[in-house]
Amino acid sequence: MLDRSIGPELKVPDPISLKAPIKRTLKTGVPLYFIPTPGIKAIKCEVIMPLHNSSYVAEDALVPFFTLNMLLEGIKGMNSSELDDFFDYYASEVEVHVGHDRQGLSLLSTKKRFDNVLPVFRALFTEATLPPKELKKRKSQKKLGIALQREQASGRANQLIRQALFGENHPFGYTATEAHVDGISADKIRAYYQDHFRILPEIFVTGDLEEEELQTLEKTFEDLPFRDNYQRAGEINPFPGKRMIEPRPQAMQESMRLGVLALPKSHPDYFPLWVFNTTYGGYFGSRIIKNIREDKGYTYGIYSFLSSISKNDYWMVMADVKKGHAEEVIAECYKELKILANTPLYGEELETLRNYMTGSFLSEFSSAFDLMGKFKRVHHQGLDFDFYNKQLQYIKTFDPEEVSTVGGKYLQENRIKEVIVGS
Amino acid sequence: MIDFQAFTLDNGLEVLVHEDEGTEMAVFNMLYKVGSKNETPDKTGLAHYFEHLMFGGSKNVSDFDRVVEKAGGECNAFTNTDITNYYIQLPAINLETAFWVESDRMLALNLKDSTIETQREVVIEEFKQRYLNQPYGDIMHHVRDLAFTTHPYRWPTIGKEIAHIENFNSQDIREFFHSYYGPNNAILVVAGKVKTAEIEKLASKWFGDIPARPIPTPFATVEPPQLVKRSKKIYADVPSDALYKVFHIPGRLMPGYLECDLITDLLSFGRSAPLEQKLVKGTDVFATCQGYVMGNVDPNLLVISAKMERGREAEEAEELLNKLLLDFKCQEVPQHAIEKVKHQAEAMKAYESLHLLNRAMKLAYFAQLGNPNYYWEESDKKLGISRDAIQTSANRYLDENNASTVYYKAASALDKTSTNQYQA
Repeated sequence: MLDRSIGPELKVPDPISLKAPIKRTLKTGVPLYFIPTPGIKAIKCEVIMPLHNSSYVAEDALVPFFTLNMLLEGIKGMNSSELDDFFDYYASEVEVHVGHDRQGLSLLSTKKRFDNVLPVFRALFTEATLPPKELKKRKSQKKLGIALQREQASGRANQLIRQALFGENHPFGYTATEAHVDGISADKIRAYYQDHFRILPEIFVTGDLEEEELQTLEKTFEDLPFRDNYQRAGEINPFPGKRMIEPRPQAMQESMRLGVLALPKSHPDYFPLWVFNTTYGGYFGSRIIKNIREDKGYTYGIYSFLSSISKNDYWMVMADVKKGHAEEVIAECYKELKILANTPLYGEELETLRNYMTGSFLSEFSSAFDLMGKFKRVHHQGLDFDFYNKQLQYIKTFDPEEVSTVGGKYLQENRIKEVIVGS
Repeated sequence: MIDFQAFTLDNGLEVLVHEDEGTEMAVFNMLYKVGSKNETPDKTGLAHYFEHLMFGGSKNVSDFDRVVEKAGGECNAFTNTDITNYYIQLPAINLETAFWVESDRMLALNLKDSTIETQREVVIEEFKQRYLNQPYGDIMHHVRDLAFTTHPYRWPTIGKEIAHIENFNSQDIREFFHSYYGPNNAILVVAGKVKTAEIEKLASKWFGDIPARPIPTPFATVEPPQLVKRSKKIYADVPSDALYKVFHIPGRLMPGYLECDLITDLLSFGRSAPLEQKLVKGTDVFATCQGYVMGNVDPNLLVISAKMERGREAEEAEELLNKLLLDFKCQEVPQHAIEKVKHQAEAMKAYESLHLLNRAMKLAYFAQLGNPNYYWEESDKKLGISRDAIQTSANRYLDENNASTVYYKAASALDKTSTNQYQA
């Protein structure tokens, strides 16, 4: 008879060796990072550039968004619908990326079709026609999207917490309005495309590419003109108060957010803070999930995470909670922060956390096709793949006291901003 | 192809193994052949609510999530109209832990009162977060309710209304477990750095002694044929009108289904498809427009969903849509469009097989349909459909008398029209 009361013995996975992407350099000095994925038929090629922020005024904040989205609306020799048909015919997808600090385009294709689509993908960088008719449509779609996001309690709460952390007049805290969309003109977009789009590009490629194919790729981007001067966003200017509230008597839930500026990945305290966050709200077995969802049933989900915009990192808690309970949930969140800061992890929870984080780490690195995303995340903070080797090492050896001390130091109640939408 | 080996235990548990040496991970995917279509009209949402209760601990595993996490794993689940699918991703060396916890809850789930009550609250908050406190969130509630009069696809998996979730008692829940959670109603897929011989041993060790259970025969509810068009207007606090127009189509394995699937590919796949080019880019009425088939086991729906530009009416949008559908029905599909769909199908296979979990889920889903290989065969079969057959099906299914339309109106429009516009 099988004894079901005792589970199978648990084993610790062997360390994995992480292979950094291969760095190549184009004649023009543009770096190309390559991760080979033998046997995989998909190919991804991304060209990422810093976002130019020099003449920041809210009215023009949407210019990069519209410029990049307009690139697919026509190039010399191909109008908007021809371009759409071209990429669809070859089952390839061009995605536009416009973040707070970076911009770029990515191409997802297959090994079979890559050669067909690459030259047209390349043309998007220099040959876009930016037609006014399509701009008009894009503007009205964007306005609807803005209205919808404002209507959505969770979308609105995300806007407000960024405003609270970075200041509403700073690009990172910026909230798009319909009036800003109205201010976008074809001239502004053309000027941006000419002067501020192609800045210090970096190319990231994942796929099963032979040397010859890589050389073709390099050649394709070798005549890409670019500039090397751009302006980073200025100093942030956080909301001086403690809490932003937007009452919505008719709403069925309250969206709550907590947020505070934190540490860049290069800081020695980053790893302990990261472990602190995972324990607190970063996985399903976390303290706040247990408290707010599994014990009290106040929410479908509550999470905390560490994120970064440029060199500004921040920590956030987010949940949509049962109406009338946001205040209590916030109080419980502070309570849990104090408990974790004052009582270092021990025993079964500590063991579970180490094992979970090790397994989760393995899982995140198990798909070769996803590795470039991990690389970009550290690369854009001036770090390299070794960050992850150190991170894995830290999971296995961290001192719970250090985790509590560091968490208590950065995640203090009096520094944390609060948002409630829907009270 | 997704390679696999298959065997069945004496108690009826079907097991599939997909070996992949290229990873250190394993996926343990258990699919139960039960979904919201097994519910009754006055007790909807139970299949999904029950899914939450499966994480509430079992006789020998008091905290399911904690044990999985301690093995370095993560777990989750989803429910739809036809199936409930549970999965665990963990380092392959700890795979046996997944066998332990999953077999224990199949054999002896706890169903503690405290779990039942807390998860009831959680599910109600999920209902609000995803469907009620969300602009346009309840559209599919209205669409299903209009299009189906009889079949359980009439309500979404989350449930028809919150009151149903509030009213389940412990007997409803226990009965549901005993009715549907037997090994003979389940399919297990194990994938990753695993060996079939080893999985055979583990499967019979942990699941072999779980007795088969009598599984209730499905209600076999047949939706009566729709004879005339149905429509309904809803007013809500949203920025602009939305239009949902749906047509009854055959079930996933029935003749005619793949033609409909191909029709939505031709109408809507990619930026160059007619719904996007002609309705979204080509007019100032549509802000978005997509078409898709639901693809459920029983006869289901082909859905065209669209949002209007602000100030434009769902009714005028429908007229434009009807014109486009009429053209589609009358004109021969261009060879170029067919080739495009072929290329896309080919590429989708490359993109979809990138992740182990995705491959495991596809195998389980198609095994549940009756044939794991059908994932690949279905696509080939679809691409072999002739242009004549496409047109015949378009004329048959995209028929006004077979249609149900929900006009989801921005509430500000209500101020302009004082008459009661509710029709059913």
